[in-house]
Amino acid sequence: MKAIVSCKGVTKVFGKGELAVHALRGIDLDIMEGDFATLAGPSGSGKTTLLNMIGALDHPTEGEVTVDGQSLSGMSKGALSDLRLEKVGFIFQAYNLVPVLSARENVEFVLRLAKVPAAERRARADAALAEVGLQGMESRRPSAMSGGQQQRVAIARALVGRPRVVLADEPTANLDSKTTAELVDLMYRLNQESGITFLIGTHDPRVMDHSKRHIEMEDGQIISDTRS
Amino acid sequence: MEDFKLLAPLAWRNLWRNPRRTVITLIVVSVGLWSILAVASFITAWAQSSRDATLRLLIAQGQIHAEGYLDNPNINRLMDPPEGALLAALNQPDISNWVVRLELPAVVQSEYKTLPASVVGVVPEDERRISSVPDKLVQGRYLSGPEDDGAVIGLNLAKRLKTALGRRVILMITAEDGWLEERSFDVVGIYDADTAFEDTYIFTGQAAMQEMVGLENKIAQIAFEVPDDTKLDGVVARLQAAAPTLDTRQWRKLSLIMGAMDATMGGVIFVWMGVMMVMISIGVINTQLMAVFERIHEFGLLRALGLKPGHVLALVALESLLLIGLGVLIGMAMGAGTVWGLSDGIDLSAFGKALEAFKTGDVLYLQIQPMDYVIFPLAIWLLGVVVALWPAWRAAKISPVEAMRSAT
Ligand SMILES: Nc1ncnc2c1ncn2[C@@H]1O[C@H](COP(=O)(O)OP(=O)(O)OP(=O)(O)O)[C@@H](O)[C@H]1O
Ligand SMILES: [Mg+2]
Repeated sequence: MKAIVSCKGVTKVFGKGELAVHALRGIDLDIMEGDFATLAGPSGSGKTTLLNMIGALDHPTEGEVTVDGQSLSGMSKGALSDLRLEKVGFIFQAYNLVPVLSARENVEFVLRLAKVPAAERRARADAALAEVGLQGMESRRPSAMSGGQQQRVAIARALVGRPRVVLADEPTANLDSKTTAELVDLMYRLNQESGITFLIGTHDPRVMDHSKRHIEMEDGQIISDTRS
Repeated sequence: MEDFKLLAPLAWRNLWRNPRRTVITLIVVSVGLWSILAVASFITAWAQSSRDATLRLLIAQGQIHAEGYLDNPNINRLMDPPEGALLAALNQPDISNWVVRLELPAVVQSEYKTLPASVVGVVPEDERRISSVPDKLVQGRYLSGPEDDGAVIGLNLAKRLKTALGRRVILMITAEDGWLEERSFDVVGIYDADTAFEDTYIFTGQAAMQEMVGLENKIAQIAFEVPDDTKLDGVVARLQAAAPTLDTRQWRKLSLIMGAMDATMGGVIFVWMGVMMVMISIGVINTQLMAVFERIHEFGLLRALGLKPGHVLALVALESLLLIGLGVLIGMAMGAGTVWGLSDGIDLSAFGKALEAFKTGDVLYLQIQPMDYVIFPLAIWLLGVVVALWPAWRAAKISPVEAMRSAT
């Protein structure tokens, strides 16, 4: 199996001197094609920081991150933007959607940035929305959707660009248990059916129940990595 | 272009997320521009009206005198009526009217008082075409012809002399032989202009006056009317060339006060514009900064999704461009509407005497100055966009990680 994401000796220090925070202390990690992995750990253990490094949103202080065979070290900001667009799908905890855009427009947005032709854009956006069960809601604005529905739109948007890996940071944090279960089922199904690689940062045991691979962090280090 | 299609709808919709704030900014920009346009056209109209009224009394657009007359007006510095080249130069279509006058310093005397004055010998029928004095008679009549030896005097002068219509006044003028010539005149008419003018000018028939001072056919000035101010310099040059020994001047050089007013009028408009511009800048910077800070997490999201810093800058700048552009359009419409709504003229007659010193006509006509409608809106639009670049730059600088972190 091929590694989609690979971290070698990744460290991240925020601030300097007395105030320095060692958020990551030497992370070695390979995420394989088709993984459905959860990243758990207490608050402040470095989950979000690690996901940001992998998603090319931030630079490590030391070490190297490789996504789909491309090393992120030394890439320009513009090139990192392009890499995010092509290879990574993001699902955040909150403020996932652009409020002035409809569900379809939110999904289409990343395709526009990727310069996909207009006709294809719309078809792909509608297909992605249908896949997450939002048929008929394409024209709704986020404010007219429930939290669960909004996260579904975010999943559709993360998938529509056919990324190599989807990074989700606490995607269920603001949802009730029923909606959480549905959302986890949905991501799991997408992983099973389409083979999309997921890496999900979470505290939520209901999410971890589904995971095929469970990574535990503590104090900026990986303390366990188990497959089930 | 592709980027523009991506950002433009987003920018437009973002404008209406906070309608209250958008409307406030629109009001600031549009009312600011409207006030600049309204002040500009009001001041222009006022200055023009006051200028026209003053010039129409006696000065006209320009005058020709013998060399030295203006420095020391006296009987030895008179000239002959125009003929030959000068006459031809005066009878051109760009000069709508011209008139010859004999004007000399004099002393006027009643039973009660002796006062200095300026006596003007006129050809009444010519004068009616170029001067508004014949229309300003409040008592009696204007002069009937060049031989009319009656006197038309100002209202205030009549008061100061304690004289009245039908009474006689004595005029003393230095004649050609150097003797002080004195003669009594019937007061046949009293006119009402502004006080300073009323105190100065006494009118009588030109031939009658020439006969009194013992000069056949001599005049002191030619006054000419040029309706199109842009042609005035050309006309003056032509007349000067036609009569090189004479002194031809346009009104700005004849009346220094009027010339100065003409020059400062534009300054007032620009000061007002400066004040409004500062207010608009403060308003725009404020609202746009607020709009940016409110949406930090959203810019973070957009950046995380792949929008480049330049895109974010363009997005915020575009929002300002649209917002201020809209405000400018509304302001222009309001300005044009105001001028149009007042196109029947603003009636100032109610202010009557209070405004007499400004010598305006009783009705002020506002006009759209086409250049005002290009320069001022463009200046405000540019200004708005430039000051909005700062909030836009702040937005572009936001790092996606920081923004998303602060959002949760
Ligand atoms: N931009 C930053 N500046 C300074 N310190 C930071 C920054 N980002 C993260 N940290 C610190 O790094 C450490 C790891 O933070 P991180 O957000 O990765 O933890 P986490 O595991 O995601 O926690 P949570 O479960 O609360 O989301 C924390 O101590 C945090 O305060
Ligand atoms: Mg976190």
